[in-house]
Amino acid sequence: MIALDYSGSLSFSNLAQTRLLACKHPIYNLAMSIIEINHLSKSYRVYQKQEGVWASIRGLFRREYREVQAVRDISLQVEPGEFVAFLGPNGAGKTTTLKLLSGVINPDSGDCRVMGHVPWERENEYRRRFALVMGQKNQLWWDLPAAESFRLNQHIYAVPLDEFDRTRDELCEMLDVTHLLGQPVRELSLGERMKMELIAALLHSPEVLFLDEPTIGLDVVAQHKIQQFLKAYQEERKNTIVLTSHYMKDIQALCQRVVIIAQGSIFHDGSLDDIIDRFSGDKIVTLQIGGPDEVFQGLRKLPNVLEVEPPRIKFRIGRDDVARTLSDILSTYAVEDIVVEDPPIEEVIAKVFTDAQGGQVDDESHPDIAGVS
Amino acid sequence: MIQPSYLNVFLTFAKNSMIRDMSFRMNFILQCISSLSWAAMNYGLFLIIYQFSDSIGRQTGWGESEFFIFLGTIWIINSLIQTFFMANATEFSEMIRTGNLDFALLKPIDTQFLISFPRVNWAQLANAFLGLAVIIFYLHQLLNDPSKKMDFSIWSVFAYVFFVFCGTVVMYSVMIILASTSIWMGRNQNLHNFWFYITNFYRYPMEIYERGIGWALWGTFTFVVPILVVSNVPARVLAQPLGGHWGLWDWTLATMSVVAAAGSLWVSRCVFRVALKSYRSASS
Ligand SMILES: Nc1ncnc2c1ncn2[C@@H]1O[C@H](COP(=O)(O)OP(=O)(O)OP(=O)(O)O)[C@@H](O)[C@H]1O
Ligand SMILES: [Mg+2]
Repeated sequence: MIALDYSGSLSFSNLAQTRLLACKHPIYNLAMSIIEINHLSKSYRVYQKQEGVWASIRGLFRREYREVQAVRDISLQVEPGEFVAFLGPNGAGKTTTLKLLSGVINPDSGDCRVMGHVPWERENEYRRRFALVMGQKNQLWWDLPAAESFRLNQHIYAVPLDEFDRTRDELCEMLDVTHLLGQPVRELSLGERMKMELIAALLHSPEVLFLDEPTIGLDVVAQHKIQQFLKAYQEERKNTIVLTSHYMKDIQALCQRVVIIAQGSIFHDGSLDDIIDRFSGDKIVTLQIGGPDEVFQGLRKLPNVLEVEPPRIKFRIGRDDVARTLSDILSTYAVEDIVVEDPPIEEVIAKVFTDAQGGQVDDESHPDIAGVS
Repeated sequence: MIQPSYLNVFLTFAKNSMIRDMSFRMNFILQCISSLSWAAMNYGLFLIIYQFSDSIGRQTGWGESEFFIFLGTIWIINSLIQTFFMANATEFSEMIRTGNLDFALLKPIDTQFLISFPRVNWAQLANAFLGLAVIIFYLHQLLNDPSKKMDFSIWSVFAYVFFVFCGTVVMYSVMIILASTSIWMGRNQNLHNFWFYITNFYRYPMEIYERGIGWALWGTFTFVVPILVVSNVPARVLAQPLGGHWGLWDWTLATMSVVAAAGSLWVSRCVFRVALKSYRSASS
């Protein structure tokens, strides 16, 4: 399902749109999607705590609750072998969605199939085929070496011994932690522990993998290592991975497809490039110009000049104006070098998040929300 | 279909707990000492009481030797519960509050099994051995007492082990039911309290309740929450307070013990399953 986009180049970016078309053909759909989410919603009723002693005593008798709509009406399809990222501000509902997909909590409404199973029925056949890793939590035995936790998983997942040994050694080697296997988990650094968590989750060779912020709190090197590992692992095994992360580097390195979730709804579904195209109207242009410094006087008057450092000047410009402005400049100045680039992805995402939270995603859907069928 | 080996999983739990206990050796030793001294004081207290009386109640047959067999049985059941379940039930309540139950729910194995056994508190097993020693000592006394008509064979031992097992199952189920309620309460610090209240009543032969308002307790703890059956049935098999012959009442109690074990285990599974439906995890 690779589609031609408007400009005629081959890209993954239109997977989402093509998939939406495919939805209209149920048979097509059944055969293809490994994760199938239809109108899934989940809300939490949280107790409204009042301040002060009197209020809290009153609260004993009459409680006030507030509904938190963590996930609202999410629909999504994921194909086998896809590496999808969930991206969204804090409290957007990413973790809740992953918990629903893992069957840890029950939804209020909606339907979901992963590999043909309804997750919250928690059949053993389903649970043997996926894994969930949560970066903020620890599932290894705290006081024992990771090797003991691995052994336990071997028994729980009934992995044959030789296969288990092979997978464990291979994973430990890839992540470079073989020498740490005998050390109690509480004595491992955060990064080392995270690698162990990943190994523990992968020992039974899950076909679907849910990773909730696997690189949280890690230094750049450890982060990079985990990215590389995940990339290599996924390329080799071709399993399906859904990842959430607040580090754009993770997503850039790993995911062809990004689903932006904000306030419990899907706000965008496509590639990172799509996001830039859709949400950022600007380009950043850097020019290198020969000649005396005086020539810059004229250029300084351009709107949105970011930086002047002769012989270089950097400015921001609307995408539609790039061609015209550049040809003007080229005809006037002795330009030695031109770089036209997108604004930093973090900046674009920040804008998307602000947009998503400002706009009323509540009831009437955003006019150009993609991916919501 | 691939099935996990429950035995292997349990053995791994037991082994891991052992490794863990051994790595905090001082704590382990102190735990053994403190629970043994509790039992010793308990024993001393009843020795004192038996200086004032030969038997609990008239014609109940609970003389000194019989009663200490009863006491040893209590220690064994308590110690089994504390070794295998107490820490786990507490941990289960905690998992509900912190959201760590998520991980148990992910595993392709019976969730109730998985949360019931992960920690084996080996130090608590000391009291079971002490109980066993006390039982053997007093049984020896009884068997050598010509005034008692004991009917003791290898079958008594099997029956005893079986009924202790049934009793442990009942106590385990009560505990899991109590712990499961934390899903609705969000937090359950009553677990230990409840446990204390309940075990307070099952620590004595049921005959002591058979008078006045004691009957209300007798009825409640025999039929509603059958904890009197838990301790009395196995103890009567060995101590034989009224001689070796089993009357109708003995058979009734024995049947109740088996029914209670099966029934309470079933109820605990139902409560557990329903409780999980309300589990809402925790926001990171
Ligand atoms: N167990 C819970 N009880 C009550 N409210 C909850 C619970 N879990 C999540 N929520 C609420 O649901 C919303 C979504 O939470 P969720 O953890 O899914 O966000 P998230 O996208 O993972 O955010 P983050 O990036 O901060 O991890 C939040 O408003 C949160 O407060
Ligand atoms: Mg989260």
